[in-house]
Amino acid sequence: MSRGNLLISAILWSVVALFVIYPLSFLMIESFKIAGTDRYGLQNYIDFFKDPYYLKTFGNTLLLGVLVLATTTLVGLPLAYILARYRLKGKVLFTALILLPIVLPAYAGAFALIVLFGKMGTINLLLMDWGLISKPINFVFGLHGLVFIQALHLLPFIVLSISAGFTNIDPSLEEAAEVEGASGWKRFLTVTLPLTSPNYLAGAVIVFLWPFTDWLTPLIFGQQDYLPSIAYINIAYHFTDMHRKYMGIVSVVISSLICVGIFLASKTWVEKKKYTALSKGTTLEGRIIETGLFTKVWAYAYMLFIAVFVLLIPIVLGLSAFSRRWVLQPFPSYWTLDNFRLIFLETPILLKNSFVFSAVALLFGVTFGLPAAYLITRTKVPGKDTLDFVITLMLAFPGIAVGVSYLLAFWEGIPLATHWIIMPLSLFIRRLPYFLRMAHASYLQLDVSLEEASEVSGAGKFKTFINISLPLLLKGVFVGLVMFFIMAFQEISTAIFLYRGGWETLPIGIYLNWHRGMEFGIAGAMAFLMIVIIFVLLLIVARIGGGILGAAWGSSGGKY
Amino acid sequence: MARVVMENVSKFFGTVQAVKDFNLTVEDKEFAILVGPSGCGKSTALRMIAGLEEPTTGTISIGDRLVNDLPPKDRDIAMVFQEYALYPHMSVYKNMAFGLKLRKFPKQEIDQRVREAAEILGIQDFLDRKPKQLSGGQRQRVAVGRAIVRKPAVFLFDEPLSNLDAKLRVQMRAELSKLHDRLQTTMIYVTHDQVEAMTMGTKIVVMKDGVIQQVGPPLEVYNYPVNLFVAGFIGSPVMNFVPCRILSQEGRLLIDAGSFQLLIPEKRIPSYHPLVHSEAIFGIRPKDIYDRAFAPEHLKENSVRSVIDVIEPLGSEIHLNVTAGQHNLVAVVDVQTTYRVHQEIEIVFDLDRMHLFEKDPPNLRIKAEG
Repeated sequence: MSRGNLLISAILWSVVALFVIYPLSFLMIESFKIAGTDRYGLQNYIDFFKDPYYLKTFGNTLLLGVLVLATTTLVGLPLAYILARYRLKGKVLFTALILLPIVLPAYAGAFALIVLFGKMGTINLLLMDWGLISKPINFVFGLHGLVFIQALHLLPFIVLSISAGFTNIDPSLEEAAEVEGASGWKRFLTVTLPLTSPNYLAGAVIVFLWPFTDWLTPLIFGQQDYLPSIAYINIAYHFTDMHRKYMGIVSVVISSLICVGIFLASKTWVEKKKYTALSKGTTLEGRIIETGLFTKVWAYAYMLFIAVFVLLIPIVLGLSAFSRRWVLQPFPSYWTLDNFRLIFLETPILLKNSFVFSAVALLFGVTFGLPAAYLITRTKVPGKDTLDFVITLMLAFPGIAVGVSYLLAFWEGIPLATHWIIMPLSLFIRRLPYFLRMAHASYLQLDVSLEEASEVSGAGKFKTFINISLPLLLKGVFVGLVMFFIMAFQEISTAIFLYRGGWETLPIGIYLNWHRGMEFGIAGAMAFLMIVIIFVLLLIVARIGGGILGAAWGSSGGKY
Repeated sequence: MARVVMENVSKFFGTVQAVKDFNLTVEDKEFAILVGPSGCGKSTALRMIAGLEEPTTGTISIGDRLVNDLPPKDRDIAMVFQEYALYPHMSVYKNMAFGLKLRKFPKQEIDQRVREAAEILGIQDFLDRKPKQLSGGQRQRVAVGRAIVRKPAVFLFDEPLSNLDAKLRVQMRAELSKLHDRLQTTMIYVTHDQVEAMTMGTKIVVMKDGVIQQVGPPLEVYNYPVNLFVAGFIGSPVMNFVPCRILSQEGRLLIDAGSFQLLIPEKRIPSYHPLVHSEAIFGIRPKDIYDRAFAPEHLKENSVRSVIDVIEPLGSEIHLNVTAGQHNLVAVVDVQTTYRVHQEIEIVFDLDRMHLFEKDPPNLRIKAEG
């Protein structure tokens, strides 16, 4: 055991202890505090579960999770099959389109949907103009709208995980089933589908838990009876009302526990069920089916249908970005660049903050992530598996939990929250597993013997890292960096609790502009700008990382 | 029970022709082996019989039925895959019962067949396990078991032993031969390992670049290879090839290899006479080269001086890599003396077992009496 490794381990552990374990424990303990006293007890939890309102909120969130999962599964299964199995022209393009929502912030999609499907939105106005309806139809405000927008946003997770499952199945398994006598549907049900279940579960967990972490979308749709939303409202607006504040904290803790619990349970189950290890996978592509004309038409129609919905988001945001006063008319009529003038000239601080905070978070990420990946993949330092575990756990923690816990923990005692560094710091911690996983994956692909050869020829560990490992890891690391940046750039759940005047980022700007009386043009322009920036970054990733698909897939983990 | 006939079958993958003008009849109860280097189209041929690939042209029939348009499940075949293709989510028992269940066999019959097959293969104790919990050899047995419970008309094997270690492979080879003997069913087996082909098959089909080179019983293919490729592919260690010129001298024929000359046996003169003054390739199996000191008396006339480069003692025999003039030869000799590297020895050839091949492709073997 080298002393250097121990030192690295000690440093990494102190970072984790101070910025992960301490604040989250603080949040946990705070939830047991009895309001207005110095005593601790179960009172808050008893109050929570006795109050029919919070119970209803809890039930709503569960219901939303189930409905979103059911919708994405029903829509995603055929889509995944098409993408994984059919030989179709333009599949790559469609895949990229359909997967786009993964990197787009959910709230941007929500805005676009309201403009399009709201009570006085384009569709309703058009229908009324044509005399088809006399009163606007409520397309989106309510549970159904939430299911719709969240399903649209989360569809890629399901599609990617199932199609990865389809692709990973050793073709000879299905051929064997075919020879044995299982054709068509039977083969699909008895062999293909069961073998896909571990992959499906991995995606399903992300989808099901989403409503436990997304506080903003329900609010945009005028709903607040969901756990994370009510938590946000209670903590952000009613912090003087001790009861509501503590109910908010309890909501955050319960959401976190559910997320972490289900995440761990599914992880264990998936590990146990992993099938891919057994079959050696003869082809990279998996089984590809040549399709008949009828199937082809059907497949294209289906892909197109979903792609249109996805494309609506940037189109609507684009329209509103270049217009003003798009109210009570189906399409904007007054075109202007005024929104961008506002963003770039009058409040450039938002853009600047976004870039600066994300960049600083990135710097933290590299400084922490590379040594952590090295430690976890290449050494036998005691406790490294626990370190890996704790970091991975951050995948499951809702952003709102990180935000609230930082607010509580770094206010008094360690008053970090009064310095702007808290913004990038929280972004870094929230996306911690993300960069680590990228570096980790690259490290696993890097043959140990290359490093050993270097050490045998006389280079020390550090020299080996600089001369051999780093150049070979660079591609993976770079992709990780950009994806990390994209994720940090659009982060709002944590930042919303921590920002103070002058620290606003672009996402917070979007939220505030919407919140303060529907300045939709500016909010739309900001969201559009963000999509453009993200898209450019994605193109860079695709250029380097070999395909937009791989790029988008890599982002699956750290999205809560 | 059925014979398999492929007529004028070819298969294109895009513009690449994997199988060319394939004509093959595998008789009922035969154990036919498709053998050739990787990429020779043997697996494609097998997969066409299984129905997993569609032939571009030609017809395939199993028994009396033309099966071109039948899906695999209706062809009455069973297949053992290279990677076994055991369903990882099913127990060994369920894996074996799967095909019968799909055909709606009564439960009792399924159970009886599975247990019977398990007993033949010695896997009764693993029936409740998942494939993950089995060793390579056990998985192999389950894969075979899954095929035999179906009692199909034809068994297809796609390199089933290539993932086993050497010792297990030898053992499974024997077991599959026994199984064929016991089941008396047509079997078609694909391998790139010529030893498997020689030891298991009743008929060998040697393929190269999608084209059948030779079809015949193992020993016939070994003793009378039709061309240079088959001669070099079948047999281990590989046959020695020496470019040469045929000379005529005082009524006898000579092989002139440059650095040495060999006298061709008299009874082969009529066959080889047309080649006089032309170039050819002389082929001799390592087994037919002797250390002169221990050679039978009648072989001693064709003696060649050589130097030992490498000695490979295998216990029962010794492989000598020697240099004779500018030619490298391999000889398999008995363990009768101790050799040293760089030692000079005289070697002799059993020319009654020699081969001559045409110099130009397709390098056909010159047929010879005796």
